Amino acid sequence: MNALPSKAFPLTIFCGKGGVGKTSMALAFALWHADQGRAVLVVTSHPLRELAVSVSLAGLQEAHPQAAANLFISHLDPFEILANKVKQVIPSERIVKKVLDSPIYKSLIEVAPGLKEIAFLGRLHQLSEERSVGETTGNFDLLVWDAPATGHFLQTMKVSQSFEMYLSGPFALLGKEVAEFFADFSNFAVIPVTTLEEMAVDETLELCGKLAAELTMRPSGLVSNMVSPLLVASDFDFDDLRRQAAEGEASKDLQFILDRHAIERSLFQRLRSSLDTEFYAIQRKPSWSSDLGLLWDLSRQLGGMIRN
Amino acid sequence: MPIEIFLGTGGVGKTSVAAATALKAALAGSKCLVLTIDPARRLQTALGIDSNGLEQRVPLDLLEGKGELWAALLDVRASLDRAVLRYAKPQEAKTILEHPVYQILITSLAGMQELLAIERIHQALEDGFTSIVIDTAPSRHALEFLDKPEFFTHLVSTPLVKLVGRTYKLWMASPLTLISKMSFELYSRVEEILGTALVHQILEFFSIFRKIAEGYSDRAQQTLALLRDPHTTSFTIVTTPFKAKRDGEYFLHELKRRKFYVNSLVVNRLWPAYPGTLPPGFPSPLQELVGWYQNVCDAHQRAWQEVSRQFSGDIPKLIPLPELSRDVDGLPALYNIVEEMER
Repeated sequence: MNALPSKAFPLTIFCGKGGVGKTSMALAFALWHADQGRAVLVVTSHPLRELAVSVSLAGLQEAHPQAAANLFISHLDPFEILANKVKQVIPSERIVKKVLDSPIYKSLIEVAPGLKEIAFLGRLHQLSEERSVGETTGNFDLLVWDAPATGHFLQTMKVSQSFEMYLSGPFALLGKEVAEFFADFSNFAVIPVTTLEEMAVDETLELCGKLAAELTMRPSGLVSNMVSPLLVASDFDFDDLRRQAAEGEASKDLQFILDRHAIERSLFQRLRSSLDTEFYAIQRKPSWSSDLGLLWDLSRQLGGMIRN
Repeated sequence: MPIEIFLGTGGVGKTSVAAATALKAALAGSKCLVLTIDPARRLQTALGIDSNGLEQRVPLDLLEGKGELWAALLDVRASLDRAVLRYAKPQEAKTILEHPVYQILITSLAGMQELLAIERIHQALEDGFTSIVIDTAPSRHALEFLDKPEFFTHLVSTPLVKLVGRTYKLWMASPLTLISKMSFELYSRVEEILGTALVHQILEFFSIFRKIAEGYSDRAQQTLALLRDPHTTSFTIVTTPFKAKRDGEYFLHELKRRKFYVNSLVVNRLWPAYPGTLPPGFPSPLQELVGWYQNVCDAHQRAWQEVSRQFSGDIPKLIPLPELSRDVDGLPALYNIVEEMER
């Protein structure tokens, strides 16, 4: 655990397989800091944003006013960002509208490889410049990116390093800035999220492998989500426990529970032996009264562990 | 149903449920293709096959199946190459296949998967499959394979884009004689923003690719019409207990809006209940684990009951499926799911 850096909090990126809880982790992490009095901006490109965000945060204002006042969520739409770029380049509003409405523009934007990604990363970079640095107060203190699922995330990150297609025009400059920003590893922290299921763990290891091989990036930590309480319980001999259960009147049903747990343990072990990073285990709650209640509990579990 | 499409967010077990459905169809005598749009290699694991072959026959000897089961990953390059070779003149085909924009289109463009899924369904029907099961990509792109082709079809039929495609080469030589001054100005603006090199490459490519694109959009329209026909196609939403309410509402709404018919909702990965309590004398960590497990189970059951109440009027089939102790890794495991589905 590092002390607070003098520079600024890095851009914190939660990534991983679909369905492992990236959005929940990003929000929980943001909530914890917001509750500590830091202004946090969560950036998401989630297309199901109504689902992912508004449902989870319903009731925040009443339950946790301090956190609510400091938490900001922004959905970045690449098409909007590109449209803004057009507005900057062309002074006349009439012509801007003509360009944006033209089928040529629309089709090229849709087809141009990597353009939407570079626009997104460009905006992200711009936002990270607006953070508080040291004594200088910015628009907010912390920037969190709820990244898309593995494949699309890697595609997006790769664009940050290959902008050769854009040799002229305003995007050449944008590409260059983005590449410089992501070449400096103190600017951002990548935190993959996984569940302890075979598919998810495979994908997490593949993600970390590709981050290292293709982008020379290393995760700053790894969150294992929805683990059973036994995984984080203090040390005891699980195999011995299993044997005792087998000797007793353990039914097939109990065997199911123990088998599942054994898989969970071995997958966690596999992650630990393959990756050299900090591990954070987040417990699965058996039930919760509201989405916000669950998220708040996650933020208590997670926030106390990860300190940038 | 000749075409069955499975939708859902990540990690709900779409691929396993889709593969089980395909197995069921094949055992009943269909020539069935299960096609996954999801780039993850989940399908091979579920079916217990290992290579990356384009289209593979899954041996059903053990189960004494009457039909055939084939599995395929949506291979963007192969599907597009096939369309190009089939629908372009040989010289044009060569130019297209070697064009740098074509290479970029197939390797890096997010969305190509979705654009080609519809083409792939057309190809499968052409190849004589009587049952086609589609395992779609998770949430982010779940509906894009239905939306993108429509978008592309509109685009291809836009007069200006047609004109640009058709006359690109001439236009570069004497632009103002063929295109109105206004259009040319507009084009220059766009070029100024996106960079000349990029725009030129894209236009050059598009001028050759246009015919393929027009053919694509004709076929896409036909295929989409099939997907909208409830006698031909059924959509299944796959979800897990805690996501079921949200996912069900979201996908039902989005599919209805697009005029597609939802036939089933599968609530997958319900934890099987552990009956009773542990006899006294078991170590306390084990007692705690079981207690915690039972709590999760109860919450799953409650979620399932709520969901079946909520959707019973809107979706004809509501199917609960249990969590398995291992990942689905081959036909025997898959067959267990088939049996669960028939309960």
